[in-house]
Amino acid sequence: MNKEYTPTIGIEVHVEVLSNTKIFSHSINGYSDSVNTNVNIIDLGYPGVLPRVNKEVVHKALKAALALNCSINKKMHFDRKCYYYPDLPKGYQITQNETPIGFNGRLKIDDDRYIDIEEMHIEEDTCKSIHVNGKTLLNYNRSGVPLIEIVSKPVIKSSDEAVKYLESLRELLLYLEVSDCKIEEGSMRADVNVSVSKTEVLGTKCEVKNIGSISNVKTAIEEEIHRQINILEQGGKIVPETRRFDSKTNTTVSMRKKEVGNDYRYIPDADIPYVILDDSYIESVKKSLVMLPNERRKIYKENEISDVNIDKLINNKPLSDFLDKFIDKNINLKIASNILLGDISSYLNKTGQKITNTYLENKFIDIVNSLNEGKMSSKNFKEIINDCLEKEDTLENILKENNISLVSNEDDLLIIINKVLEENKNSVNDYKNGKDNAFKYLMGMVMKETKGSANPVVVNNLLKDLLSKDVN
Amino acid sequence: MNRLSKEEVLHVANLARLELTEEEIDTYAIKLKEILDEVDKIKDIEVLSDEVMISPNDNICVLSDDKEKEMLTKEEILKNAPKKYADYIEVRGVFE
Amino acid sequence: MNYLDLSIKEINKLLKENKIKPIDLVNEAFKKIEDNKDLNCFITLNKEGAIKKALELENKEVDNILFGIPIAIKDNIVTKDLLTTCGSKMLSNFNPIYNAHVVDLINEKNMIIIGKCNMDEFAMGSSNRTSFYGNVLNPCDKTLIPGGSSGGSAACVSAGLVPLSLGSDTGGSIRQPSSFCGVVGLKPTYGRISRFGLVAFSSSLDQIGPIARNVYENALLLNILCSKDERDLTNVETEKEDFTSLIGKDVKGLKVAIPKFYVSDLIDKEILDNFYKVVSILKQEGVEVEEVDMKYLDNAVCLYQVIALGEASTNLARFDGIKYGYSYDDAKNIEELYKKTRSEGFGAEVKRRMMIGSYLLSGPNAKIYYNKALKIRKCMSLEFSKVFEDYDLIIGPTTTSFPCKLDKLIDDANKSFMDDILTIPVNMAGLPGLSLPIYKGKNNLPIGMQIIGNRFDEKRVYQLASFIEKKINLRGENNE
Repeated sequence: MNKEYTPTIGIEVHVEVLSNTKIFSHSINGYSDSVNTNVNIIDLGYPGVLPRVNKEVVHKALKAALALNCSINKKMHFDRKCYYYPDLPKGYQITQNETPIGFNGRLKIDDDRYIDIEEMHIEEDTCKSIHVNGKTLLNYNRSGVPLIEIVSKPVIKSSDEAVKYLESLRELLLYLEVSDCKIEEGSMRADVNVSVSKTEVLGTKCEVKNIGSISNVKTAIEEEIHRQINILEQGGKIVPETRRFDSKTNTTVSMRKKEVGNDYRYIPDADIPYVILDDSYIESVKKSLVMLPNERRKIYKENEISDVNIDKLINNKPLSDFLDKFIDKNINLKIASNILLGDISSYLNKTGQKITNTYLENKFIDIVNSLNEGKMSSKNFKEIINDCLEKEDTLENILKENNISLVSNEDDLLIIINKVLEENKNSVNDYKNGKDNAFKYLMGMVMKETKGSANPVVVNNLLKDLLSKDVN
Repeated sequence: MNRLSKEEVLHVANLARLELTEEEIDTYAIKLKEILDEVDKIKDIEVLSDEVMISPNDNICVLSDDKEKEMLTKEEILKNAPKKYADYIEVRGVFE
Repeated sequence: MNYLDLSIKEINKLLKENKIKPIDLVNEAFKKIEDNKDLNCFITLNKEGAIKKALELENKEVDNILFGIPIAIKDNIVTKDLLTTCGSKMLSNFNPIYNAHVVDLINEKNMIIIGKCNMDEFAMGSSNRTSFYGNVLNPCDKTLIPGGSSGGSAACVSAGLVPLSLGSDTGGSIRQPSSFCGVVGLKPTYGRISRFGLVAFSSSLDQIGPIARNVYENALLLNILCSKDERDLTNVETEKEDFTSLIGKDVKGLKVAIPKFYVSDLIDKEILDNFYKVVSILKQEGVEVEEVDMKYLDNAVCLYQVIALGEASTNLARFDGIKYGYSYDDAKNIEELYKKTRSEGFGAEVKRRMMIGSYLLSGPNAKIYYNKALKIRKCMSLEFSKVFEDYDLIIGPTTTSFPCKLDKLIDDANKSFMDDILTIPVNMAGLPGLSLPIYKGKNNLPIGMQIIGNRFDEKRVYQLASFIEKKINLRGENNE
């Protein structure tokens, strides 16, 4: 890339809101159901019909706006955005132009990096048109599906940053349960505005629509930057236009020229009175917000959970939600995350169970503490995991039933340890010469000798003791 | 000149998706300008506050529950459609 | 057999006593419609449905005063399985799969829908001449226009074809034809009646309302039209009230305002003279009448152009030849489908208003004019509120002139809206307004006066209207 040019990127993200019914009608919000089944006269734009407003959608949009640190329009109305397209039944889309529910927000994408949010508003989706054998066919299941659109300010500086922004946004909306954010299925869509400039003044921007995955967003932005720089370098001019990303050729292709600008003729929609979001309602929604990914990351990091495991946890919201219940319970979160992502995950995967449907929660603290204090080995835990998740019983009883008790008697253990030291003089010498690995080896030999029934904490202490005496 | 250009008239006709004859274009070029001049007077009218009145009602929007209600059968959806194909409403004319 | 010339009360009595059956009323109505075919009041008759309904009712108890009463409905109010054309070619084949809320209410009360009334296309016009289905004649003088856009609704009641009808009023579309045809028409408070199923012209101005032969019967119909409908978010929930309850009550001490704008020299002198005759009666009867200044009223036409036509251009965008209605057959591409469908499906006046509406919203215009119009509208509304702090009602003539000849050229945009300068402000502020026939003018043509109430104060509007009706000996009746 030519170093002299600075790219500037703004992103508009549409996500479909999870709800039972559509935004302005009582039809089911399920656009992938059988063709034209979730449709009523409102979705078809019949004459004389009027919209209603779905409470749940407003609630979810408010959650998202608060989580994005937006200011809230406490008195908001809806507007009509007018244009003609076969997938737009009324000839206008009901959206929020003047009073978006949220504005002036920001999203953290990295330790010290925030992306400013211009505004966030509620609107309706269009119906779905498909093109078969030269025919254009319309499926109205998607007509009126609730959307929120999140518009970033043009402050994103690279394709990598764009990807980070989208991933952070996706993570956030998933955590809020605002949307399932399935980009490939179209429940999350991104349009990017790209311009390049050598100066402080922003260059002419082009919009790239229809990008079907996050990795394509990256490619599309890079391609678009490249294309624009090439044109400028050859003395050309950027024409403001809408382009589409062609995933087959990995290039952006012109869609339609914006010669006259879109003349959307916005007017307030008088069919919908003002929606009032009062302070107590906003406050209650704020309080109900779950802990967001960034806060969770911070806490995990403070508790020395590895970066790999942090990512795994954040990507597995049910496990992360489960772990969050124990954050202030003073347990070893590192061990907790290890078993959650290890044995417990494999159990859940194998059985197709949800963690909330198991009996893990009432004994989780005991399990983590027992592992931490060496009262139980991880091998033991593997043996009893089914019982732990399937039985309501206490950990203590389960261990008893399975005849699991770790040898903690120091006299018994000393006999075994001395035997191991006698048989592994080389390793003892290695250890004395500063090879830390030798300690691990000796430790393993003791455990092998006891068939895993020794309390590793006690063994660890005794072994250290003996070896240090020897040194002296 | 006290009329709109032909391009301006055609732009408006396109917004309304209407076809105009040459004669109509000529008429609208004058008519629309007249109306705009008439309406332009409201720019100078003094208002007491910046408050707008979108609707005569000052009631607030009662949000509705997220509950499903009766939907249409496919027969009903297609009943008034000028053109249909299988379970779909079809758009007349080849489209992109 | 002229039962339909009797009062609704008398008809109700005969039905209750089993002296007549609903089918007698239905047959009589259709006979009268046939005899007056030249009036062209109806676009679609509900013959089969009405007869079926009437026969069904023979086994039912006469449980309310409107039971079995024939009613006509303006053709922009949606009726399930009964053609709803809006007076347009665009919807000439439109067979709705749903009922407007008011139609459900009418059915619940077992009234009988006789047919769908002719109207100006999509309610755009004040003469009923923009209908795709031809003129309606004014029953008072068949060479004249009946007014519009609810021309058919007013004319069919005036001619005695049916005792009641429904109209809709965006800028005077109930009151002006009621005035021209000599019947009582009310535009209720915005939000009083659900608009669900009223094909929208201007969403913030439209309101359905009753048209009747006299004030009392008008109030009877309003009684059953107000019932909270969750499907219309602008429909206001109010306590159930009997709108006839103040009819016949003394008006002494009422305070009534006449805005100077309503008696300016824009108004026909004969109309004004007759209006003042009523004013002097009121004064004699102890009503306090005073003139007031209202400085925002004369902006009404400008606001109407911007707001009504702006909203209309969006409301009528849905007619695209895809989901229902007229569709151009041989479109080669989507743009051709849109343009041919709309250019062939809409008549000249609708297209003209679409052009104006789209133009006034295009580019920077919406920001400049629409926004300003909404601010002035607020001022106009506040000004009305201010008057209502000191007065119970506002009165004035309904129209500036008498109905014109049917063949008179349709005037240009600004002038045609000028006819509505006295009715539009009432819609802008969302107030109830009623047109009451007073004296007859030249050539025995009816003159209407307008009574405007405070929001949701229809009762008092009816009170004064019925008083005047009785005083000047029209065909009024009392609540008793």
